[in-house]
Amino acid sequence: MKLIKTIALAALVGTAISSAPASAQMPEAVYAPYQDVTLVVNFPAHPHYDAAMRVLPLFTEETGIEVEVDQLQYLRMRERQTLELTQDEGDYDLIAYVVFSKADYVFADQLHNLARFFMDPSLADPNYNAEDLIDGYVQNIGVAGGTKGYLPGPTGSLFGIPFGSETSVLGYRTDVFEEHGLDVPETYEELLELACLIPELEPDMGGLASRAASGHQASHAYLLHLNPLGGGIFDDSWEPIVNNAQGVEAAEALKSIVDCGIEGSTTFGPSEAAAAFAQGQYAMFLDSIAFAAGFEDPSRSTVAGNVGWAMHPMGVERASQTGGFGLAIPRNAPNAEAAFLLMQWLTSPRVDLMIAMEGGNPSRFSTYEDAALNERFPYSATFGEALRFADPDWRPIIPTWGEINADLGTTLSQILTEDLDIQEGLDGVAERARGIMDEAGYYAWQ
Amino acid sequence: MNIQAANRLTPYMFLAPAAAVMIIALLYPIGYMVYASFLDWNPSQRIGEAEFIGLRNYINLWNSDSFWESFWVTIRFAAFVVSIEMFIGVGLALLLDRQLRGMAVLRTIFILPMMIAPIVVGLMWRYMYHPQVGVFNRWLNNLGFDTIPFLGDSSWAFASVVIADIWQWTPFIFILALAALQSLPSSALEAARVDGATGWQQILYIKLPLMLPVLIVTCLLRLIDAFKVLEVILVMTNGGPGLSTEILALRISRTASEFRQLGEAAAMSNYLLILLMVITAIMFVYTRLNDARLARIRAAGAKAAQAEEEAV
Repeated sequence: MKLIKTIALAALVGTAISSAPASAQMPEAVYAPYQDVTLVVNFPAHPHYDAAMRVLPLFTEETGIEVEVDQLQYLRMRERQTLELTQDEGDYDLIAYVVFSKADYVFADQLHNLARFFMDPSLADPNYNAEDLIDGYVQNIGVAGGTKGYLPGPTGSLFGIPFGSETSVLGYRTDVFEEHGLDVPETYEELLELACLIPELEPDMGGLASRAASGHQASHAYLLHLNPLGGGIFDDSWEPIVNNAQGVEAAEALKSIVDCGIEGSTTFGPSEAAAAFAQGQYAMFLDSIAFAAGFEDPSRSTVAGNVGWAMHPMGVERASQTGGFGLAIPRNAPNAEAAFLLMQWLTSPRVDLMIAMEGGNPSRFSTYEDAALNERFPYSATFGEALRFADPDWRPIIPTWGEINADLGTTLSQILTEDLDIQEGLDGVAERARGIMDEAGYYAWQ
Repeated sequence: MNIQAANRLTPYMFLAPAAAVMIIALLYPIGYMVYASFLDWNPSQRIGEAEFIGLRNYINLWNSDSFWESFWVTIRFAAFVVSIEMFIGVGLALLLDRQLRGMAVLRTIFILPMMIAPIVVGLMWRYMYHPQVGVFNRWLNNLGFDTIPFLGDSSWAFASVVIADIWQWTPFIFILALAALQSLPSSALEAARVDGATGWQQILYIKLPLMLPVLIVTCLLRLIDAFKVLEVILVMTNGGPGLSTEILALRISRTASEFRQLGEAAAMSNYLLILLMVITAIMFVYTRLNDARLARIRAAGAKAAQAEEEAV
């Protein structure tokens, strides 16, 4: 656990955010009631939150509210939050939650509905410009209670604000593509063809770096291909369709990509896949935008300056990932109002840009369009374009997903490493998923 | 209350605090786990809010292919690591039970692996097994052999985690076996030497039988530990590829944290507890039977000696 108290860190602010817009004049009356408050927030160990923490001292300087950050590895963070949120009075005023926790926390009535804060004129900033927040992220990460229970709709409400959200993009080696006269793949057909052509052109190089490790990682990699190829986990009646033709095609795509990878790629998580690309062992990388800044850091990457970016290739449709983290206020937060002020400050247009300049993931369209950001990180424009196709229904965010996700991931691992027949494996997943959903009551109205 | 009754109760009054501490510290958590196994309990709920579902968690597990796969992986893992560790650990102890120069340093070096934190052991082996930068595959490459998918292939991954466990825990067997060897009565060994017993005969007929009670306890301790090993496998393979290295302790952890089913995780823990109790009971019965057999042999020997004396 990393505990950082941001008291008297104002001296650091000047150097940490040298390229960011200057401090704004903050309305004293808004923050005055919370001058004695020290907020305790729970963040994951993640590049976006590292960037946010470099900007955070400015909040204390501008508002007088102090902030303590409890930073944990993201799965450990989830376990810690699960325990904290069941207490009568919790320790955390503000939490960052991983997208699939939304279902658990909202279902257990552990998060504040944000309407009451946005309706309070003494708290809500009229210049917040919520329309500028990336729509797919807000729908996927922030809203619950609408269509299918986890998506927006007439009955949906806002429980969180995207912060450190991610979509998927295709990174490729410009030098390798230029040397062999290759075109950047725009469709899945082209992507899969290139993934296996590259090892023939460059014998020590894999085609496309991908996650594949047993469990969540293999499942995540599969979902990256399943949605653009027109598949899904469930139909609108919650019947599993993971084993239909599109599901099989996505599994075949994943197997082909892994088979055309380097030795040991079946054990890759996202960090290993990114490290292999950064060390020049792959010509392409299809995963989260969160890794982009790292590829351009010469101290960690041998391919800095040789990475181009394109949108997630298209199958029958464009459907890039929606995932990452959001900010929420626990129902048992000791200082909910002050926590809202911090949440609003962190996700405001001005601070969103500051964090993006530090290498974080923007939550706003306007940030992606900012000229200074595009000059500093030239790939920002491509990422902004990719976000228009981010699929808010990229995976089912329901309480039973954890178990189905693990089963899907271990079955895919068997397909990748033990040559389990794809159709047989996915039929098994569909059958078990139906049993899990039945037990959870998803067919009670049928 | 008369004085006699008070006297009878006195020992119990002295025992009461210890009994209370034991009930609270030892039995309450076990009782809590047993109770939880009858609940449909999500970690977002308090235990009082969870629904009582009787034996459903146990029945679901009994019908779950994944549970049984993890169960058999655990059995195979425990059988391999404990038998190989016993063989190597006892062998090393027999080899090093002598007065050699620098032996104290050598013994200290031998026990270093078990002092290292399991997470570090997992990370260390994971990187040594790495397909590109791992030391084993680089050696193989330098020698002109194909690389081996140590963690990327089901069979190799299982063997790889077994090797890591053997590396870490053989010293435990070694230490206890060495201590047992050094406490053997020298008279028995001297008598054997006087009678002309060879080194192998001394090991097979004197040392090992006399060490047996210690070895049984050592084996039991390792067996219990092997059933519960978690961190090394979690870091090295996270149970994969597929479910090939997902032992029960890892599945319990995933059931609680990933699947968010605390009741089912508790039921699985109880199955593991029952299995360990059965193994302990078998070993206990075996020890008792062995003791009884030895007592009979000793009694017969004494009887024969007495008869001989009377005849003389």
